[in-house]
Formats: sequence, C-alpha cells, structure tokens
Amino acid sequence: MTLPYFAIVFLALVTLYSGFVSFREQQDASAKNWILPKAPGGPARIIVGISSVVILTAVAIWMGLGTRHSSVRSWRFLIPEGYTGWVRIEFEIQNAPSLPNEGGQFTITIPAGGVVRTSSSEQYGPANDQYFYYSAQEMRPLPVTGKGALIWGKINGEAQGASGKRKFEEFFVGTEQQFKSQLKE
Amino acid sequence: MLPFFLYLITAVLTGFHVYTLLTLTLLGAPVNPLELVSLLGSLALLIAAYISLFNPYIAARVALLACLAMWSFYAPAIAKSIRSGGEKPAAASFLFLTPRDPAKRNAKF
Repeated sequence: MTLPYFAIVFLALVTLYSGFVSFREQQDASAKNWILPKAPGGPARIIVGISSVVILTAVAIWMGLGTRHSSVRSWRFLIPEGYTGWVRIEFEIQNAPSLPNEGGQFTITIPAGGVVRTSSSEQYGPANDQYFYYSAQEMRPLPVTGKGALIWGKINGEAQGASGKRKFEEFFVGTEQQFKSQLKE
Repeated sequence: MLPFFLYLITAVLTGFHVYTLLTLTLLGAPVNPLELVSLLGSLALLIAAYISLFNPYIAARVALLACLAMWSFYAPAIAKSIRSGGEKPAAASFLFLTPRDPAKRNAKF
C-alpha cells in the first residue's frame, strides 16, 4: 500500500532534480559537486550498467514466469433476475455443500437472500469471472465494465465470528449510483 | 552516479505501480489510457538512467520529459484523491463502515 506514495515522492524528486539540471549551464569538468552530475568513469559505468541490466532482466523474467504459472480463476455467478444489493459468498464452512464444477468452471448460484455458504476454498489471483441474471425463462450476462456496469465493490476478506474465522467474498449488484449511494449511508 | 540511481529507482517504482494497476484490467477494471502514457514515461526514465552514465545533461532533459508523461497520470489521480477527501475505494471502506449482515445492508433494495 505504500508503493504509490513512494512512487509519487520519487517522481517529485526526479522532476525537481531533472528540471534543475536541465535548465542549468553545464559545469566545467574540473568542478566537483555530488549533486550536479558528472558522467562516471569507464569501469564504474560498465559495472553499474551491466549489473543493473542483469538485475532488471532477472526480475522481469521472474515476474513473467510467475504470471505464466498462475492459473486464472473462472467462476460463474448466477444471480436472481432483478436482484439488487450485496452478495456474499462464505468459504470453508463445515457441512455446507461444495461449489459445483462444470468443465473446470465453478458455478455459484446466488439465492434471493444474497448469501451463499460453501465448504469450497476461496481462490485468489487473476480472475475471469462471469455474472448472469437468471430466471425460469432465460439467463443473461451482466456488464461488469463501462457506464452500464452492474457489478461493483468486489472484495475478499476474513471475518471473525462465533464459529471462528470466515473467509468471504462480496460484491454489489446494481447501478453505479445505487452502489455509491449506499456507501454514503 | 546520483542521477543514475535516482532515475532507475523512480522508473522501477512508478513502472511497477502502474503495472499493478494495469493488471487489475484482468479483474474487469477499465483501462485508463493515461496509465499507458505513464508506463511509457517510466520506460523513458529507465532509458534516461542509462544515458546519464554517458551524458547527464541530456539524460536530465529526457528524464524531465518522462516525468511530464508520468504526471499526466499521477496529477489527475492525486487531484481526484484529494477531492474525494481521502475516501478509500469501496472495497476497503465498506469493510469497516457497513454492518456485516447483507440482509440489513440490502433492506433498502
């Protein structure tokens, strides 16, 4: 969570520094000053340049491999037609049914009350979830992005209750205006 | 050597930050084009870091342009954050500000 703050602080520093150096006349080579730049000597330049390229490449490869090996979650949420409000799925509940898996895709049918309890475990990481309104007649997909989005405020969390810790996932079904208005209350 | 490390650290920090924001698109978040501009700025700053090993003054100009590109994303983001009074995203604030029972929360719908 501190990453954005560090990024902004360093960005401000670099902006000031580069602005200061850009609009200043070049100094003669004999002037020594640790703030104003002088190009480093040959050996230092080679060592720093090569070692930083090696480190950055290693980090990029490590991140790339991590992304490739992580599986993308694909869940299908079936929500009663016309439902508006919060939905909560509670995981690892003893004696609760497990989530049905159809062709590698878990299906979660949300009841009218909005709460689902399952013995299955939560899956974290990249997700390719799909949301549908269902009725006796049809099933229609819900938009999750853009102005007409109907899914908001998705969170994963852990709550302490009488029966111990509970992992849960929640999201809001409704328009952006409905979502924002209920947050203010 | 100061400009090299300053540019390198900033390029990595801002680049990784914007990269994490862009990965949210996998979860369905909309893409902000300014995030891509900022990512290009981070790349330009990385290049400026290496230029600074040879000519620090040219590197400073490249770095300044890169910073302007990055501010095109960060400045509106900071302004929006201040305007909203430091309000957290729904995900975080909701955890602490609303009752945990969905039935109570959903009573108005």
